[in-house]
Amino acid sequence: MLQIIKNEWRFLIRSRIFLGISIAFISILLLSVFLGNYQTRKQEQTHKSAKDHVRQQWVSIDEMNPHSAAHYGTYVFKPANLLNSLDEGVNSVTGNVLRVEGHVQNEIMHSEASQMQAISRFGKLKPSLLLQYIVPLLLIFLAFNSVSNEKQSGRLKLLVLQGAKPLQIILSKTLSVWLYGMMLLIFVLLVYSILNFQSLTIDILTRTGLFFLSYTLYYFIISAITVYFSARWQNATLALTSMLGIWIIWTIFLPNILMSSAEKWHPLPSRNQFQSAMKEDRSKGLDGHNPSDKRAIALKEKVLKEYGVDSLSQLPINFDGMRMQADEEYGNSVWDKHFGNNRKILRKQKQSFQLGGIVNPFISLQNSSMGFMASDNLHHQEFLLQVENYRRVFIKTLNDKQTFGGSKTGNWRWKADNTFFKSVPDFVYKPTQVSIILSNYLLDLALLIIWSIIITVVIYFGTKKIQIV
Amino acid sequence: MRGLSIFIYEWKHFVSSPFKIIALLLFLVASIYGLHNGADLYMQQSNEIERLNQKAKEEKETILSYFDKSEKGPKNRPWVDITTPFWSIWYAPTYHFKKPSPTIVYNIGQTEQYGFYKKIGLYSSPYDADMAKEIANPERIQSGTLDFSFVVLFLLPLLLLVLLYNIKGSEAEQGFLPLIYVQTGSKNWWILSRTLFYTILLLFSLLGIMLYGATLTKVFEADNAFWTIFLYLTIYLVFWVVLYFLILKYGKNIISNTLQMIGIWLLFAFVIPAVVHQWISIEKPANLMIDLIDIKRDKTDEIYEQSNTDTDNQIFNLYPSIKQTKTAQDTIAIKEARNDSRIALINVAMKNAISKLEENNIAKNELISKTYWFNPLTYFQNKLNHSSKTHYDDYQTYRDDIQNLVDKRIEIMVLDIWNNVKVDKTKYLEYNKILNK
Repeated sequence: MLQIIKNEWRFLIRSRIFLGISIAFISILLLSVFLGNYQTRKQEQTHKSAKDHVRQQWVSIDEMNPHSAAHYGTYVFKPANLLNSLDEGVNSVTGNVLRVEGHVQNEIMHSEASQMQAISRFGKLKPSLLLQYIVPLLLIFLAFNSVSNEKQSGRLKLLVLQGAKPLQIILSKTLSVWLYGMMLLIFVLLVYSILNFQSLTIDILTRTGLFFLSYTLYYFIISAITVYFSARWQNATLALTSMLGIWIIWTIFLPNILMSSAEKWHPLPSRNQFQSAMKEDRSKGLDGHNPSDKRAIALKEKVLKEYGVDSLSQLPINFDGMRMQADEEYGNSVWDKHFGNNRKILRKQKQSFQLGGIVNPFISLQNSSMGFMASDNLHHQEFLLQVENYRRVFIKTLNDKQTFGGSKTGNWRWKADNTFFKSVPDFVYKPTQVSIILSNYLLDLALLIIWSIIITVVIYFGTKKIQIV
Repeated sequence: MRGLSIFIYEWKHFVSSPFKIIALLLFLVASIYGLHNGADLYMQQSNEIERLNQKAKEEKETILSYFDKSEKGPKNRPWVDITTPFWSIWYAPTYHFKKPSPTIVYNIGQTEQYGFYKKIGLYSSPYDADMAKEIANPERIQSGTLDFSFVVLFLLPLLLLVLLYNIKGSEAEQGFLPLIYVQTGSKNWWILSRTLFYTILLLFSLLGIMLYGATLTKVFEADNAFWTIFLYLTIYLVFWVVLYFLILKYGKNIISNTLQMIGIWLLFAFVIPAVVHQWISIEKPANLMIDLIDIKRDKTDEIYEQSNTDTDNQIFNLYPSIKQTKTAQDTIAIKEARNDSRIALINVAMKNAISKLEENNIAKNELISKTYWFNPLTYFQNKLNHSSKTHYDDYQTYRDDIQNLVDKRIEIMVLDIWNNVKVDKTKYLEYNKILNK
């Protein structure tokens, strides 16, 4: 088998067309890695300067009423991730800026895609675009006539006469084509690792390893099916057109159709319906800005009782801050209910889409690629959740200062000093560890493995029916 | 006559090729699926707009009931007084919509990148958080909806490939190419006629599919959009026919022709748009809206903290007529009027920041347009987006309209406050009428 693989590679290397295509393709891959990396670095810089600018504004507040500061709020910018230079996933459509303030949980805004006219339906020139769409096509081109050519030239008969079994020949040809895909993949990851050597962590290496595994399996599936078709059918053109058909259905048709269907099976509410429902639920709670609100009055009675006083003016604390915080906490529970529901729907959509991997391994590849490169919706939702958790801490810190900072109820002119504002922590994004989210992608990996096994079994049993001449 | 017989032979060849028939059928099915996706979105947006109009009507009824009952406003908002221009305009429900064009059935374009309705308030801006797009799965948005334009732009060249790939190559491989040249007289004429047959077949198919799409929404109500779209699709088809014709003319065998055709498709559909996209992102990175943030926070504070004289001068500069009003001469009344009018100054500052931001976006779009000559897919995509009113520019017009409505709202409010207008039911209805024009 090894000898057949060696021979295959010898033939490939001798072919000038093959060498030309390989050099051109490697150059494009190299360009994609460099540009992807450069863009991520540039994004990181823009992100850092925006973050610093907003933080500087916050720590420069000389004095301000804490509740006014809650309205003044802050902004969180979606950070660029080093892994995104390999696969950008959903990042260009999700928005980059999120306003953090009291009373409301804003939506993330200003996506890159909304700031310009349409360009590419398949995204930027990232390595993932080439590795997902173009490399499989290259593998198909390499493999579609690998066995049929041997049949036509009579070499296949010669190989069998020399003692090689048809199964060995097909597997060797599959492996030699697959190795070409692997070589390109390893090349991309190697260049990427060299460019980012200083920033590599265990998590990044693990994710890159899993990314590598997904592509390895997919390339095996593509190579094996193509070689098998080449062996089963007398006509190389038929093998090529069948594989092109499969490629079109797998990469262009099905992902689109299945994703749209998943969204129809598990529909999300419209923004207006969602906001109206939130508003409705929120109106059942306490209104922080309205002292005459029934629930606010009940809270007041409770607090007065706790402190053993008759009126708000006798309280050693500022009740306004307490009422604001009660309002926030109610709002938080409303948010948890509604956004939690949306997240559940999104998760169901994702699971349904993942099951599409049963009929289309490309879906499993796309899912795992985005997932392991931390650029899928799951990671985006995780980011939004971290921002919301930060918002809660941020607003509570301000409300607590209003309550316990030394002011009295009704004294809205009271101001906290600069030391306090400096002490309010900034948002720090904690990248999601792969160990935490790995379970979400096990299905994709499992389906890719099952596909590989099925193809191998089909080759094993199907080879017996192959005509040598 | 010679051409006709080539056409008849090609028809026979086509009907006896299940592979080609299946490819065409698949294309038709995908097109119809795409049309229905577009029609669904059209219905969804139209229904949502209908619902919001109803909501606005109910909100208006509620406020009118306050006038009927001589109440000042909602009971849980004791500080509200709807007889003042400020609160009356505050509570005049105004929604502005980006109504979907019926031609969205053919092309969803950039629709899913933006919101399509906006509640206009005194503090509104076209870049508010509620301008966010509809709630949707970002993975679906990223992979794009399979609409009719997607089918045409990406799958039509592939269908054409399937229909044309064996022209000449098959005859060459079977060795009777010289015989055909003798029979037809001209190699080019023979290839051209066969290619033309499939071009006409596809043109009729496209027209048929588009007519079917026209039954899903009222496409013919949208000016000449139907024919404009059909024209673009025809030019696009011809573009690919010419490319493939050249490959067939100079190609030697089926496999080499097929590989060249798929190669050129990959180049135009994937590689070039992706390279341009990447280059634009590096050259003009996504704007994080720092200028807008600065205005919202620091400039607003500055406006509230500046001296009364400065504020008055700026307001008078904006609305010269109010300088002569009684309120302007009344040292007590001017305080409240000045306070409420600060919104106008914030609005001006916001507009300045927005114009900078939009200049940046325009520069980005110009850069993209400059690549059209070697990036045909992006060119045709954007032309179709224009025709179905789903282009960035259409959403820019929508944002401009929102800004104009905000300006109008603020202007009416400021003028009526300074002119000490008392609002009654008639005046409130008048506000609603003007603001919803």
